[in-house]
Amino acid sequence: MSRLSPAERALQLTTVCCGLLVAAMLALMLVLAWPLLHSGQLLSLIGGDWQPAAGRYGIAPMLVASLLLAMVAVLLAVPLSLGTAFAAVALAPPLLRSPLMLGVRLMSGIPTVIYGFAAVFALVPLMRQWIGSGSGFTLLTAALVLAVLIAPTMIVFFVGGLRAVPQSYSLAADALGCRPVDKLLYLLLPQAAPAIAAGIVMGLGRALGDTMIGLMLAGNSAIMPESMLSTGRTLTSHIALVIAADFSSMEFKSIFACGIVLYLLTAALVAILRRALPATARP
Amino acid sequence: MTTTMNGKIRTESLSFSYGERLLLEDISVEFADQAITAITGPSGTGKSTLLTVFNRLWEEIGGGPLHGQVLLRLEGRWQDIHAPEMPVSTLRRRVGMVFQTPNPLPMSLAANLAFPLKLAGIDDKEEIAARSREALRRVHLLAEVEDRLVSDARLLSGGQQQRLCLARALMLRPEVLLLDEPTSSLDPKACAGIEELLLELKESCAIVLVSHYQDQISRIADQVYLLGERTLLRQR
Repeated sequence: MSRLSPAERALQLTTVCCGLLVAAMLALMLVLAWPLLHSGQLLSLIGGDWQPAAGRYGIAPMLVASLLLAMVAVLLAVPLSLGTAFAAVALAPPLLRSPLMLGVRLMSGIPTVIYGFAAVFALVPLMRQWIGSGSGFTLLTAALVLAVLIAPTMIVFFVGGLRAVPQSYSLAADALGCRPVDKLLYLLLPQAAPAIAAGIVMGLGRALGDTMIGLMLAGNSAIMPESMLSTGRTLTSHIALVIAADFSSMEFKSIFACGIVLYLLTAALVAILRRALPATARP
Repeated sequence: MTTTMNGKIRTESLSFSYGERLLLEDISVEFADQAITAITGPSGTGKSTLLTVFNRLWEEIGGGPLHGQVLLRLEGRWQDIHAPEMPVSTLRRRVGMVFQTPNPLPMSLAANLAFPLKLAGIDDKEEIAARSREALRRVHLLAEVEDRLVSDARLLSGGQQQRLCLARALMLRPEVLLLDEPTSSLDPKACAGIEELLLELKESCAIVLVSHYQDQISRIADQVYLLGERTLLRQR
């Protein structure tokens, strides 16, 4: 058996530590949520409503709001990101491609709170006007901004996938009279499909995990949303709001159940990604 | 320069650079229609790059700038290949190209052959099937792949891939065929078959062939040019 170098040993140790840390986080959340789980309220916790005064700590409204918000944000972000990636790889004039990607990378570095802050003043009044009633703080408002927030992550994945298509394929297509749009549709898109799928899943993961946008723009009412024009509270916002006001009650313990649900949702996404993609395309 | 009735490609005061290097300077030549024009010369002089001037493929690989004119005789009159009325996709459908390294697209053999027709808006399945069989037959590949047209083209041997690429280039019945060392990955038998095919093809189009093989050039070429220091000298 070959001996490992010090660098390989260090990497191996880091990997084991990371794995243990992730497992420890789950264990900690299970321990802290145990009083609630132990009291036989698991089903009502996941399926019930949030009425802490009545002793009901259900997170269903938050779960639905989180899933709705994340999925709509991804649906909005996919065409935006694909269009930008296509422009950066093939459609925009060559001189504009680098500045475009520079802009995308800059966008990914802007703190989330800035997006939220800008939207409170720019988008919320427009939404209020468009809906005609209410405050303008809705799941749709949050989804629009979340789409812009997750787009850079997706664009980087998409561009990476499109650029990884061997140049020989691209030249062969060019020599056959392929227009840029044909090349994207018939050659680059099918070849980059695994990276595009990976980007979508990563975007969904980021959308599910984001706290600030939901907190600042979705309205935060802990009731089951009826539509995207309703207000809503995401799981992450819920955790942030409860943790800021409490530290020992049953309400406080319930947020660890939220953490477990978020953890399992993210783990499920990663598992789906690993199953869906060929080994070479896995992030 | 004087032009002839059977010219197909003409350059006028053509200068072309690739990167920092000036490959051609003030070249005026005419390549004949229904003939095989061979371009030869030492390695690294830019023979392959020169071919891309005739279908504007250099624009995709970062060559240039190009000065002067490149003209193609279509429907009896000379047309500037850089003119606005000549879209680059149309030009490349009329000027086919086969590269030195085979480059089948990542799809089935049948899809590779159908691809140029699809781009040209031809979607009649019977016509595509008929043209595909005809092209495969002409490159002596039909018998070898007839039973696996739906398999991935990249699974073919190097020589088979090159013949597939040649068949693909023939699908649109090009008026000019640019060939960059097309037989370098073929065995002698397949090579002889391709040479025979080129002699047959030249009846219907102009062929510009880059080749290192002097014996091949002497067997099939009608015109021979030597690419040297920024010049293209006619040898035959």
